[in-house]
Amino acid sequence: METQTPDIGNEVFETLKYIIDPEVGINIVDLGLVYKVSLADDLLEIELTLTTPGCPMSGTITTATEQILRKRFPHLDIKVNLVWSPPWSTEMITEEGMRQLEGR
Amino acid sequence: MPTATASNSPAKWMVLPHYAFAAFSFVVMSVLLLFSTDAFGGHYFNPKLLTITHVTVLGWATMLIFGALYQLLPVVLECRLYSEKLAVYTFGLLATGTVLLACSFWHFWVGTLLQVAAILLFSAFVLFTINIFQTARKAPKWTIEADFIVTASVWLLVTGFVGLLMAFNFTFAFLPEQHVHYLQLHAHIGMAGWFLLLIIGVGSKLIPMFLLSHPGSTKKLNWAYNFINGGLVVFSFDHLFLHTGFVPFYAALVTAGVGLFLWYLYDANHTKQRHDIDLGMKQTFVALGLLLLPLLLVFIVSSKGALPQDLLSSIYLVYGISVFLGFISALILGQTFKTLPFIIWMHAYEDYVGRFKTPLPKDMYSHTLLRWQNIFYLAGFILLITGVLLRMQPVILAGALCFTVTALLYASNVFRMLLHKVQDLKPFTYGNANA
Repeated sequence: METQTPDIGNEVFETLKYIIDPEVGINIVDLGLVYKVSLADDLLEIELTLTTPGCPMSGTITTATEQILRKRFPHLDIKVNLVWSPPWSTEMITEEGMRQLEGR
Repeated sequence: MPTATASNSPAKWMVLPHYAFAAFSFVVMSVLLLFSTDAFGGHYFNPKLLTITHVTVLGWATMLIFGALYQLLPVVLECRLYSEKLAVYTFGLLATGTVLLACSFWHFWVGTLLQVAAILLFSAFVLFTINIFQTARKAPKWTIEADFIVTASVWLLVTGFVGLLMAFNFTFAFLPEQHVHYLQLHAHIGMAGWFLLLIIGVGSKLIPMFLLSHPGSTKKLNWAYNFINGGLVVFSFDHLFLHTGFVPFYAALVTAGVGLFLWYLYDANHTKQRHDIDLGMKQTFVALGLLLLPLLLVFIVSSKGALPQDLLSSIYLVYGISVFLGFISALILGQTFKTLPFIIWMHAYEDYVGRFKTPLPKDMYSHTLLRWQNIFYLAGFILLITGVLLRMQPVILAGALCFTVTALLYASNVFRMLLHKVQDLKPFTYGNANA
């Protein structure tokens, strides 16, 4: 996870934790799907990926990300980019995500 | 960084009828099984067994695979399905053809009705293959999974063509060999060419995905593809033209291919990050275990060793049962609960994600029913093959009863999902998401 905006970054990540990957049952932040959060002027830009290319969740997750951030930060423009590079791997799952996966 | 495209999922009204028809067919097949316990005492070429087999492979397995594939193909090939309209026509042809074929076989009406059914089914396979080929042509990158799926559709077409020839041969008797000779070819290219290749193509993508693992190199899958197709091509050629005694060698090639696929999955399982294996995946592993039985039996039926004829006939039947009611049915019984809940969930709740507290796909079916479904299935399968092998009708009947219970439990869970309605959802008040 990378953020160029420490002030708003944590708030964005906390907000995106409301979006749950329905197959795994873990939120997209702890699953390591959110790669980058940046703020330039009034444009909040998010780069995120999916666990596998072609995942049928692509539309759902990008739309949900846009909607939730638009509601949370109504004064900002929101842009969500779905990216495949670097490819997602299980090393990107956070400690909290691993804890949930292992049912601890 | 390259950006990705939006979701390629097809419309639910195109996919879901396949699941409904398949569940209904599974119930019908189980009920037919109840009334066919006397059919397992002799040769596999008899009306009741032909009916049960074709309801299983067409109405149950192929129908469900078609529906699931329209949803999964965009995941595997990373592009939209070529034509949803073509898929709807395919569904109509396959459903009508299956019903007519089942009536023809049950009453052994092998004239016009059988020919019409065969034409409808072959037309369905042609349309399906066109849809697969045209979709694959749009795929942004070619993978070994695409090879498996596209080749499987070709083998389906060949299987259907041989079936079509046999349907007309009943009336016009133009084929040079006996009917059973072509039935063996029809069955084996259907089993290994269509079902096995398709399952490997989709399974090698989905199973690691469900386990959250990255098995790495696809070299094993490449060799699996070569071995299975090589074995099938030389088997078909030999069976049609040469009639040598090398069939066990061709079986060994196919078995080696399956072995490599299982090795690939073993690697995937070894590197998995998910440890809470759900009932759907547990049933999938049961199916993979059951695959070992036909892989063993194929050497007995292909070598035609010095076994008594009665025992050999029973082994032939157990061999067929272990493929269609064993491996393939077990896999579908598990994978339905990995695909259907997700499809229903996505269409019902995708607009609510992140704004409302939504249920998860796993909340959309009864886990208790699924657990009992899996238990009754395994009991039914063991009883059925034991009864067939020992030629004991009461044991076969007990197996058929267990299968009927399995089918009813499966169908009630499937229709529960198909009829799912969005409940009143509570909106999120943004605070601590992990709370």
